[in-house]
Amino acid sequence: MDYVQQRVAQEAAKPDGAGSAPSGLLTPLNIILLSVVLYTTFSYLKPKPAAALPKEAPAVVFRTFTPRTLLPYNGENNMPVYLAVRGRVFDVTRGRNFYGPGGPYANFAGRDASRGLACGSFDEDMLTKDLDGPLDTLSDLGKDELEAMAGWEERFLEKYLVVGKLVAAGDEGKEETQ
Amino acid sequence: MGAFDNLLLRADESITGLFAQWNVWTSLIVTLFAGFLTYQISTRRDPDIHPFLLARQAQPSPVRQPGESPVYRSQAAPHGMPLQAGLNVKDPGASKWARGRDGDLRDIWRQVIAGVQEDGPSKGATGRILTVEGTEHVVEHNLADLTRQINLIGRYILDRGGNRVAIYLPNSVELLLTLFACSFYNLTAVILPFDQPDDAVISMLRRSAADTVVTAPGSFPFDEVVKHYPSLRQLIWVVDEGSKHMDWNEIPQGTGGSAVNVSTWQDIIADPPVSAGADLPSPSETPKDVTIFWQNKPGQTEDMVRFTSANLIAAVAAQLFAVPTARRMSPADLFLPADSLANTHTLALTLAALYSNASVAFNSSSPAAADLALATQGIAPTIVSANPAALLKTHETVMQKINSTVFSREAHSLQTSALAQDGVFAPAGFLANYYDSAFRPKIFGTEPGKLRLIFTAERVGAETPKLSSTVLSDLRVITGARVIYALTAANVAGAVAQTNFYDYRVTKDEEKEKCSHFGPPVTAAEVLLRDKGEYKSTDEGSKGEIIVKGPCVAGKEAALGVVGYIRHDHTLALI
Repeated sequence: MDYVQQRVAQEAAKPDGAGSAPSGLLTPLNIILLSVVLYTTFSYLKPKPAAALPKEAPAVVFRTFTPRTLLPYNGENNMPVYLAVRGRVFDVTRGRNFYGPGGPYANFAGRDASRGLACGSFDEDMLTKDLDGPLDTLSDLGKDELEAMAGWEERFLEKYLVVGKLVAAGDEGKEETQ
Repeated sequence: MGAFDNLLLRADESITGLFAQWNVWTSLIVTLFAGFLTYQISTRRDPDIHPFLLARQAQPSPVRQPGESPVYRSQAAPHGMPLQAGLNVKDPGASKWARGRDGDLRDIWRQVIAGVQEDGPSKGATGRILTVEGTEHVVEHNLADLTRQINLIGRYILDRGGNRVAIYLPNSVELLLTLFACSFYNLTAVILPFDQPDDAVISMLRRSAADTVVTAPGSFPFDEVVKHYPSLRQLIWVVDEGSKHMDWNEIPQGTGGSAVNVSTWQDIIADPPVSAGADLPSPSETPKDVTIFWQNKPGQTEDMVRFTSANLIAAVAAQLFAVPTARRMSPADLFLPADSLANTHTLALTLAALYSNASVAFNSSSPAAADLALATQGIAPTIVSANPAALLKTHETVMQKINSTVFSREAHSLQTSALAQDGVFAPAGFLANYYDSAFRPKIFGTEPGKLRLIFTAERVGAETPKLSSTVLSDLRVITGARVIYALTAANVAGAVAQTNFYDYRVTKDEEKEKCSHFGPPVTAAEVLLRDKGEYKSTDEGSKGEIIVKGPCVAGKEAALGVVGYIRHDHTLALI
């Protein structure tokens, strides 16, 4: 309180007229205020850049795989995870925990998984051994197994993208010429 | 006193000193500043559409075929869902929640008669159908009378063994009635572009194998046609009031056209009793195809395209959907097709207006009018479908006037930036009022309201003048109406792609001939670009020949023959 009294007394002691405001436009106070006004006006009126969204990831090109070219897509070495069901290649990278390395279905990654899904078995012997041979025709499967596979296919079509088709080695480009 | 107290004292003294400088200027500055802030905050308005919705207008498919771009679809018709194909017609008595039928042309006329079905203040309201004659004479048609005409004409043609009905008429209510008569009486309609050279008319009749022609005297080369096209069986003259008294049924001497049965529209309507033809038939089969002739560059032969009824309906549905619900056409609107009805784009818009129970006016001379003011002569439409040439002419005339003084030029650029930057039309105010009274063409006037929407379309291969986004923006400012610019092609009913209703942006990066982009594909079509020569789709961008698929495309898929690319905001543009 002492301080306040002291300051009031100090201001009161000033002779009349000594503290009267300068009448010019360009006093320091006015300059400060003017610059604030200019800045605000400018930021209000300056053209705003048009809204832009980040570019989307480019589309995956649909391609034709053979069992051998599909093999690298098993999720290792930062590759995406693909698997084939009845000639259709699905990108199951989003389900990496299941189909990727270390997952319960890891055997299917980069392979034709039709027989394994139909039989509900994740074993090695469900996969087609001969990568350069013909595709698994699945002709020996029973009704229940085909039904199970159709169920899987339906789920895959709902959840994952079809990014290509699987043909036997040597059959690439055949369809186009037919 | 410590050093800190000293500092405080110093600060106190300097602040007191600073504010001691307050004078009359300071008060003025502060007052003006407060006024500016208040004005900015109170006049601030949200844009009509969220800017992000314009920043990415179409949706690409996640997988693309080699040699092609991804498939692009409107955000409103996502991948994995069927494209929009129908009008969702609800039959009376059907459950409110059940999915409606796709509908066909007949449902459009039934809707015209029935009036608005949704509950609300305008329930039951019907649109009016008008004909503009000359410069100011407007005739209103009675809807029940038009229904009777549809019935009598359809029945007449059918009874005389007609099957393929060529319509060679200017924009008129009779053109539309014949089209509806064909849909109700299971006839094939062939719409010929009007005002063509004689040999072109004969060749179009021959290619379409028409056996009946509905046309107007004075423009149809009857003698020539009879001589060169012997398959013609029936001719119906649509004569106007002034020449009704003449005997049109007489076949000119020496033509040998005794095989042709000639009658007039007016006689067919006048002869049966008044009560005849009051009820529309409801045949179970879907209406037959509608054949259209697409005019290419002058001198090139027309493309003949057969659209199924479903194609046309999908086009109409897409046009109805393209206008946001809050702004859709209603009985309060007056639609004027100021472009030829032989274009499926104009036809689809007209049918959309009819289906929305908007009033529709026909002016036979407006497709050829030099500018918008002439095209809308005698009537004040709220929605107009105009050709780019007329719009460009209006733009040129008005801009010349605006650019003549500094003040008007500045006013225009302020209006433009308000529209393009803020995404919202400038509110009524001193500047806007001055601007309107000085430059807005007077015809866009009073009844039933002011012009609010302009449809216009680039026709692929027809050398229509291109409109740049600057011109489109200028047109919006000049007319105070929104402008939708569409890309149309021979094999696609309605439009392939068209700009968003709320897209007012001015884009600086236009490639070809200063032509605006065409927005995303309509909801009834999907677009992809197939590699062509040097134009290839890569991970960086999509380029190539425009391919359209969907329910509005004749033959399911059409290659347009022109090269386009997808811009960064996922809109389609020509290269």
